[in-house]
Parts: sequence; structure tokens; C-alpha cells
Amino acid sequence: MNKKNSLKFTLIRGAAALGIALLVAFLLIIVSAQGNTFGAKMSNSFAALREMLISPMFRKNGSFSLKNFCDVLAGMIPILFTGLATCVMFSANQFNLGAEGGIMLGAFVTSLVAIYVKIPGPLLPIVAIAIGALSVGVMMLIPSVLKAKLGVSEMVNSLMLNYVVMYFINYLMNSYLADTSKGITQTYPYQSNALLPQMIDNGSRLSWGWAVGIVCVILVWLFMYRTRWGYSIRMAGINADFTKYSGMNTFLIIVLSQVIGGILAGMGGGIETLGRYTEYNWSSLPGYGWTGITVAILAGNNPAFVPLAAFFMSYLTKGCTLMATNAGVPAQLISIIQAVIFIFFAAKQFLSGYRQKLVVQSAQEEIAAAKAAEGGSN
Amino acid sequence: MVTIFTTDFFFSIFRIATPILFATLAAVIGEKGGVSNIGLEGIMMISALFGSLTAYWTQSWFIGLLIALIVGCGVALLMGFFAFNLKTDIILTGTAVNMIGSGGTLFLVKVITQATEGKSLASTTSLITKSLQIPSWNIPLISSIPVLGKVISGHSILTYLAFLLVWLTWVLLYRTPLGLNIRSVGENPNAASSVGVSVLKIRYITIAITGVLAGFGGAYMSMYYAMGWSLDMVAGRGFIALAAQAMGAGEPLGSMFAALIFGFAQALGIKISAMGVDSNLVAPIPYIVTIISLVIFAVVQRNNEKKRHSAEALQK
Amino acid sequence: MSEEYVIQMNGITKVYPNGVVANQDVEFNVRKGEIHALMGENGAGKSTLMKMLFGLEQPTSGEIKVNGEVVNLSSPTVAISKGIGMVHQHFMLVPSLTVAENMVLGMVPTTSGFLIDGKKAVEITEEYSKKFNLPVDANARVADIPVGMKQKVEILKALVRGAKILILDEPTAVLTTQETTELFHELKNLKNQGYTLIFISHKLNEIMEITDRMTILRGGRSMGVYNTSEVDEEKISRLMVGRDVVLTVEKEKAAPSDTVLKVRDLEYVNEWGKKMLNKVSFNVRKGEILGIAGVEGNGQKELVDMLFGFNTPNAGTIEVNGEQTLGMNQHQLRERHVSLVPEDRMLYGIAADGSIEENILSDRCADPRFNKGILFDMNAIHEESDRLIKDYTVLCKSRDQKVGMLSGGNIQKVVVAREFSNSPQLIIADQPTRGIDVGATEFIRKKLVELSRSGIAVLLVSADLNEVMELSDSLIIMCGGEISAYFEDTSELSDEMMGRYMLGIAHQTPEEIRRVCHE
Repeated sequence: MNKKNSLKFTLIRGAAALGIALLVAFLLIIVSAQGNTFGAKMSNSFAALREMLISPMFRKNGSFSLKNFCDVLAGMIPILFTGLATCVMFSANQFNLGAEGGIMLGAFVTSLVAIYVKIPGPLLPIVAIAIGALSVGVMMLIPSVLKAKLGVSEMVNSLMLNYVVMYFINYLMNSYLADTSKGITQTYPYQSNALLPQMIDNGSRLSWGWAVGIVCVILVWLFMYRTRWGYSIRMAGINADFTKYSGMNTFLIIVLSQVIGGILAGMGGGIETLGRYTEYNWSSLPGYGWTGITVAILAGNNPAFVPLAAFFMSYLTKGCTLMATNAGVPAQLISIIQAVIFIFFAAKQFLSGYRQKLVVQSAQEEIAAAKAAEGGSN
Repeated sequence: MVTIFTTDFFFSIFRIATPILFATLAAVIGEKGGVSNIGLEGIMMISALFGSLTAYWTQSWFIGLLIALIVGCGVALLMGFFAFNLKTDIILTGTAVNMIGSGGTLFLVKVITQATEGKSLASTTSLITKSLQIPSWNIPLISSIPVLGKVISGHSILTYLAFLLVWLTWVLLYRTPLGLNIRSVGENPNAASSVGVSVLKIRYITIAITGVLAGFGGAYMSMYYAMGWSLDMVAGRGFIALAAQAMGAGEPLGSMFAALIFGFAQALGIKISAMGVDSNLVAPIPYIVTIISLVIFAVVQRNNEKKRHSAEALQK
Repeated sequence: MSEEYVIQMNGITKVYPNGVVANQDVEFNVRKGEIHALMGENGAGKSTLMKMLFGLEQPTSGEIKVNGEVVNLSSPTVAISKGIGMVHQHFMLVPSLTVAENMVLGMVPTTSGFLIDGKKAVEITEEYSKKFNLPVDANARVADIPVGMKQKVEILKALVRGAKILILDEPTAVLTTQETTELFHELKNLKNQGYTLIFISHKLNEIMEITDRMTILRGGRSMGVYNTSEVDEEKISRLMVGRDVVLTVEKEKAAPSDTVLKVRDLEYVNEWGKKMLNKVSFNVRKGEILGIAGVEGNGQKELVDMLFGFNTPNAGTIEVNGEQTLGMNQHQLRERHVSLVPEDRMLYGIAADGSIEENILSDRCADPRFNKGILFDMNAIHEESDRLIKDYTVLCKSRDQKVGMLSGGNIQKVVVAREFSNSPQLIIADQPTRGIDVGATEFIRKKLVELSRSGIAVLLVSADLNEVMELSDSLIIMCGGEISAYFEDTSELSDEMMGRYMLGIAHQTPEEIRRVCHE
């Protein structure tokens, strides 16, 4: 297939997947919308749909809402990192689903440093986030080394670790760390110099962590496409036997990809918690890991597209939240939309008939061109 | 120690192992047929929800159970459509189902029960009452045997069914034409299709069976193990089942023992936490056991392999 | 006239989803009761055409008639119901099932309609085995039976399903000469009983011996239909490859010097307890090509795996330039300038979804030449890949094209471009030209000779007699995991002589074989 048709297909396919997801969403909105008559139900449904699709950026009167838009940007931060983490791990064909536990552990460890370690000035958040990130990197040694050494499924192990991490954190919180003067289980507040500065201080909690995230996108892209380690990771994802035969260190590839994934997820946790909160209070897995997988799939495992995919998912999430508050449709609709988009994007044969048509068309064009060239030379 | 290993304790092993066993058998059949269904977790959640709701609406545990199975089967077939027809990676397909199983079920329960945002977490816990619970069975004669009777009598009928299914799964896989087809498709799909076995059809049947089995597990969770559906109640049992399958080397009987080990670990955890230990310290035990047992299993396999490479092999 | 044809494929065109045009307006007609050869080089479109006839693929355009009736062969099931059976090159058997279970797969006899009737399955197997004189062991697991028997099971499988037309896809590729003779006898038997056979091969002598007519394909198009008795080998080869096959490669006499590879007393027992290598010893010296000939499955694969660190022997030693390399991984071996052209290029040789450049980079990605600090030096990498693409005449759009989209010959050129260009001292070439076009074959063979003459040690493993005999300076023959013969000079060798050693009819004395160690 030539480049023009290839691009055309990618775009149409993506649009079709989104279209189907929105259609499913709309059907579910109709089902869940209030209203006694059909007309009322439909108008409520459209109102809900409007909330979901337009409100994250525009006010009722059509003017641009900076606040909502900043919310969307701020919402990108955690999934930008879990998305990058998943990109790196999936590129190596390592189905590590531990970004979920990773972001929780990263946030928790960062919090501990931010509360208890006395470090002056802006050094504190940097050290705290670094330690948080490293702790998750260390955690990922478990599934990755077990996979590389013994061939144990990193998927099952990383899933198990998510639960272990969650209960472990809850145990520490309950037993040692909770600020007992508060009604809910939360830690003591972070030292004030640990908090990340805000990019725009309008209550959206859009911290400079967002910019760090974008820098990480560039760094991860460079790593994946411009260094020998990233190259090895990508080749291992295409054909692991080939990398072994070529003399690359397959053990290192398996471990490195997951540890880097862990570090990124942990960094996301640290940045999210120091940028958004003033104390740590997550008691269950936050779900960002799963959204990160969606982001990676949407981005085709290419770090360069992660910001776009993360923006899209954050936008939809914000839309669903607004819809829940303003139109009474439960916000968990996002899970279903996410699953639908996800599954269609990952479907290799989706619209394959159309693809085949384009392929045949390209091949025929090439044959015709070759014939014309032959005719010309005779 | 004596206070831990009571008849109650052994009774609870079977009670706890039941949903894991259903999912494990699903994983066994799935792997034999070359269908790695990691969506078992999500299917169990969805079945648990629809089972408990239907039981409430129809005031019949039986119809609730039936609907749980149908829904489980339906979701699995839908997975099949994406995985087999649209060629979505089966792991990603499973992940999508798990997403729906987590947030999606909460959406549905809110919509169906009209519980809106802001109210306390929606669940169907209040809907399932004693009369809607899947019945348990006191086995005549056996229940009167001291100790043993207390351990193996009085379980949910699904518990007995689960253990019966271990045997039936073996019969299915090794003694029926369908099982022969499932194994052929799992081992060499080209061979199966070359003799006119429809690989697609067999894969659909395989994944449908995994869906029904996971449906049993889901129904057991919301209609017997707990009195109703609540968010994330399956808590990784679908994933643990995958580990149990691997530990059991993919065979029904071995995998059953693996599922029982998990039941044991969790029962032990509950017992310890009843003795005053923080439940957060106890709850992760099954997950840690999973990791450790996968490692042991892998090490044993590796050692067997190494033996073949030793100089002794030459003497044979 | 058309009634005499059991198969008519008219105007068949097939375009694959990846854009490859495998068949273009092909005509293929088979008469009842004949043995019809379908010939062509690898990639000529034979397999695709037959896949369509067996319902595994559907034509993009064109029509297929069976017994004069237009059919839509949408699946193998439909093809089977029309009386078409296929014996695949890669056996379509389930290894963990028994022969009988494989026989009845898809049509399992049952007791009371529910459980498998194992006894009946064995009966059916034995009945057909006797009827067609194709002896098999009904109760053995397929994983445990020899190749020749597996093929018999495949043929029986087709017959038991009522096939009247049998497609045999390169059936002799895996057989010994004896087994081939046996197979031909069985095929003639089938023909006499009224069966129609389509025989795919590119071995001329076999075609001449057994077929009545032939259709020749080239580049996806039909080159015509011929009566076997009316064409000679010369003409066929011209039709197949478009020119007379160039079989000889010019080479000067080797002047071997120091030993590079030294293998001593290698022994290996495989996972089923079969002894695959027995006291294998040899040397390969600088500047020579040592060939290893033999029917496939006589330990060559295991030997190559040992040499390149994919497996460890139970006993024995391997040295490269005087250094013990046993237990080293591929990275360490490559550091010691050992290169491998792997037998299965799609499995090991390339990352199909990677670009040509990425595939060339794989063994040298950590080389300082291509790195500036921690980042790649993209200019140097582009330069290297463009240079190799040019030097090895890889036909492609650009260095960014996916390797998987290239033809077999060009894929192999990418593999050898990489393996030959990183200053190797020992090249292990395992079936370096299998299944690729004549042009690429010639190129790679010439390159191997050129490299050996420049002082590189080459170990050539090939099942292609012509190849080992033409390229090797000296030659060993493997049979049953042992070296059965060593020839210091290949020029005096005849096919017949080699055949005797390859099939184990003859065996040199240990002293004669020991000469390959140059001690």
C-alpha cells in the first residue's frame, strides 16, 4: 500500500473507532437519561452528550473556558506518565500491567519523603519524586527478573503486585502513618516546599509537572528511537528470537523495559501527588494504569503520540465528570467508552475489507505504472 | 495452631476455593484451546452483577444464576468476535472486558438502580436476601460423619458442581470429539482446519465455555459468597485462576489442587485476621502465594529440563 | 472437451492483504487420473494457487470448476466435500494426538454419540492403511513417529475423507531417497486406482520420473502446460527461471591456513532421549569452505545450534581461534567475529516489522561507529545501511521499507549483508539459499566464495547437494548424528557416492574421518 492510502486508512479507521465509541456512549446516555416522555429523554440525552463533548472546553454560551481546559490539561499528567510507561513495556512485548500499582507506590513513596525528609527548597520535590520513581523501578524488578530468568508471566505477576502494593500501603497507612486527627485515612501534610508550583493558578491544579511530562515524552521518544537500548527494546517487541540471535542482551531488554516503565509510572505518581494534593490519601488503586494502557494503544506504542492520546482521554474523562454533575449520567460511562475505543483501535482486522480494497487499488496502480513505463521504453 | 486448623477452617477452604476453581477450569479449557482469556475477572464481575439483579427482580436464585451464565457466555462471545474476527490481541481484549467489569459495572448499577453521583457507593448488597441465595446442601449420611461431615457437607450446590466439573472437564477434553477438536485447535490450528474442523467455531465454543464457567464463578460471588454485588468484589480471582492453571500444568486435576492451595492461603489469611491481625496484612496473601507458586513451578520445570542436558542423559 | 478435466482454474488472480500479487491470470487444468506436476521456483505462486484450490485462500478474481461445475471453495471443508485432499509440506498433524486420533479428527466416531470410540478410530486407520498399502502405527503418538510415516498419515487422512484428487506439496522435501522411492511407488499405485494427483516440486528428476503432464509457473503467471514425455529438463528449467540455470561458481583453489573453528567429540541427546550428535569432530580453517552435506534431520540443525550458543551439548568442546566458546551466548560469539546465516530467516534472521535499516543495525547497534555518546549517530547508520543495500543489491524502495514486505531473496540479502559485513572471521551459513530466487542464490554463493578467499573460515551447511558440492573446498557428510565421510577434495566426488554416505549405506573408517581435524 502506498503512503497516501496508508495514511488515509489510518485516519478513517481511527475516526470510525471513535465514532462507534461515541455511538455506544450515546445509546447508554439515552438509556440512563432522566425524563418521562420520549422528547424529554432525548433532549436530556443531547444535553448530556453536549456536556461530555463540548463542556470540557467551552462554556454554555460558547465562550472558551480556560478553567475547564486547564482541568483537562491537569488530568493529562498521570496518564501521560502511565501511557509512556506502557508504551515502553508494550514495545518490548512485555505485557506488564503494573503501571496501576506503580503509580500508587510512586505517589506513596514520594509522599513519605515529602513529609518526613528535611531537604531545603526546590530540591525536596525533586528528590522525593526521584525516590518515588526509583522505588517503582525496583518493584518492577520482581516481574521482569522473574520473566527474564524463569519465564514466569510478567502479566500475572504484575497484576498480583498491584494488589500487594495496595494492601501494603493501606497497612502502613492504618498502622503507622495516618494523621489520626482527620476523619479519613490520610497522611500528615507535605512540607510546603515539596509542593509543585502551579503553571496557572486557577484551582485546576495544573502544575509544572505537566511540562515535565512533555519533556519526558521527548526523552522517552529519544530513548526509544535514538539509542541502542530503545532500539533493542523495539526489536525484541517485534521478534525476540531475532534480538537474541543478533547478540543483544535479552535479559537486559526484558528487565530494562519494565524498570523504565516502572520509573515512569512512579514519576507520574510523585508528580501527580505533589502537584495536586497537600497530603497522601489514596486507599485504592487509582485506575490511571488502565487508562495508561488505553493511551498507549491509541498512540500505537509511539511516545510521540502519547500527549495527543492522553489529552483525548483526559478530555473525555472531564466530559464524563461534567456530564455526571450536570446531567446525572454516572461518570463511570468513561470505562465503557474507553473499553470500546481501546478494543477497536487494537483490532487489526477492523475495516480490513476497506483496507484490502486500498491495497488492491495500490497494487493495480503500481502494475499500471510499471506497464506504462514498459510501454514508454519500447 | 490448633485453634486455626478447625473443621470450620477446612470448610472455608472449599468455600473460598469454589469461585477460583470455576475460573481455573475456564482458564484450563481456554489454554487447551489456545484462547488465553484474561478477561475472566471482568466476566465474573459482570455476571455477578446481572445474576444478583435478576435474582432480585425475578425473586428466583435459579433464574439469577441462569442469567449470570448467559451474560458470561455472551460477554465471552463478544470477546471472541473481537479477538478472532477483528484480530484484536486476546490480552488486550481481556483488558477491555476487565475495564468494563470494573468501572462499567458501576455505571450500570447506578443507571439501573437510579443511584446517581454523590450518593454512597452503589451496590446490590441489600437486594440479595437469604431466600435469594444459591442454596447449600447438607449431604445426607455424610453430614453425620464427625469432622469430615462438617468439612464437606453443607456447601453451596455450586461448590459440589465445581468439583464435579473438574472431572467433567477432563472427560470433555480427553474423551469427547469436541475435546479432541479443542486440543487440536489449541496445538495446531492449521492441522485442525485442514481436515475441515472449523477453527473459528471451535475457538468460539472454547471461549463460550470459559464465559459460562466464569459466569458460575460470578454468580457464586454475588449470590452466595457475598450477599450481593459490590465494586471490585471479584478482587483478582480471575487473575489468580490464570496462575492456578499454569501451576497445574494446564491439566484439570492439577489445576484443581492449585486452586485449593489458593483457597487454603486465603482461608488462613481470614483466620489470622480474625485473631486481630490487620486485614491489610492478610489480604495480599493469595497474591503473594500466586507469585511464589509460579516461581516454584518455573524452577521445578527448569530443573527437569537441565537434567536432560547433563552428561547422565548420555548413559541411557 | 471440458468434461475430461476434474479441475479447471481459469483466470485466477490473487492479491494478498500486504499487496503481494501472488497469482496473475493463471490457467490450471487437471485431467482425471493423471499425475500433474505444478512447477516453479519458490515464490512463483504454486503454494498460493494450491491454497486456493484447497479453500485455504480465496482468489481475488477468476473461477474454479471441479468436475465441470463452478464451485466456491470458501474453506477446506468445502474442498474436502468436493473430493479434494491436500498433503501439506509442513505436516498438518497434531503431535500430542495418536495417529488414529489424527486420522479421524473432524469426523470422530463415537459411542452413544457422545464419547470418542477409540477402537473404531484404530480400526478405520488400519483398514485404510491396508487398503492403500501405506503402513502406519495407529496407536503411536504422532510426535514419536518418523517423518516418512507422518507423510503416510497425511495421505491416509486425505483418502479417509474421500479425496479423489490429491494435492502433494513438495512431498519429497523431507524424505530420504529410499523413502522417496517408496512414496513414488505408492503414488503410482494410487494413480492406477483412478486417483488424480497434483504434484508440486522443483526437483526436475522427480517430475520426469513420475508425472504425466506439467504446468509451469513463473512470477505468478502460467508459462504453459506440457506433456512430460515431450519436454526435456533443459526446457523446463528455461521456462521456470527464464534462462539456463547457472550452477557453477568460479573459484580458485583454497589455500587454508590457521584453524578458526575446532570442534571435538560433540555429543547431544535431545529431549526425547534420541542421540542427535555422536562424537562429531572437525576443523574449519581460514580461507576454506568446509561443507556439511546430509539429508536434513541428521544432526546438522543441532550442530549449528551448539556452535552458535542456542543449545549446549552433553559432551565435547568447541573452540574459536583457540578459545573455548562452549557456554558462550550469541553476544560473546559475535564479539569473537562469528557470524550465522540462520536456516530459518523469518524466525531468527530478521524482525519482519522492522525497517531494512533496523535489521542491518542489529548486531552492531552498540558499535562506537554508530553511536555518539548515548545517542545513535543517525548519519553513520544511514550511510551504513545505504552502502550495504547497494553492495548487496537489495531491491527496495528505501532503507525505511519493512523487511517483511520484501521478497524472500531480498530478505535473505539483508540477512547476509549484515552477517557478512561486520568483519567476520567465521561464517556459519546454514541453508543460505533455501527457497530464494536464482539471482539471489548466485549472488550469495559468489559472495561466500569471495569471503573465504579473503581469508575467512566458512562452514556451509546445506541440504542442497549442488550447493555443497559446488562451493565446498572440502566436505563432510553427516548421517544419523555422525560424520560418515570426509572428502578433502570435492572435485572427485559423484552424486552416487555422496548418496551412499548420506543414507548410511557406506561409512568411512574413523581414521579417514579423523583427517578433517588436521592433526
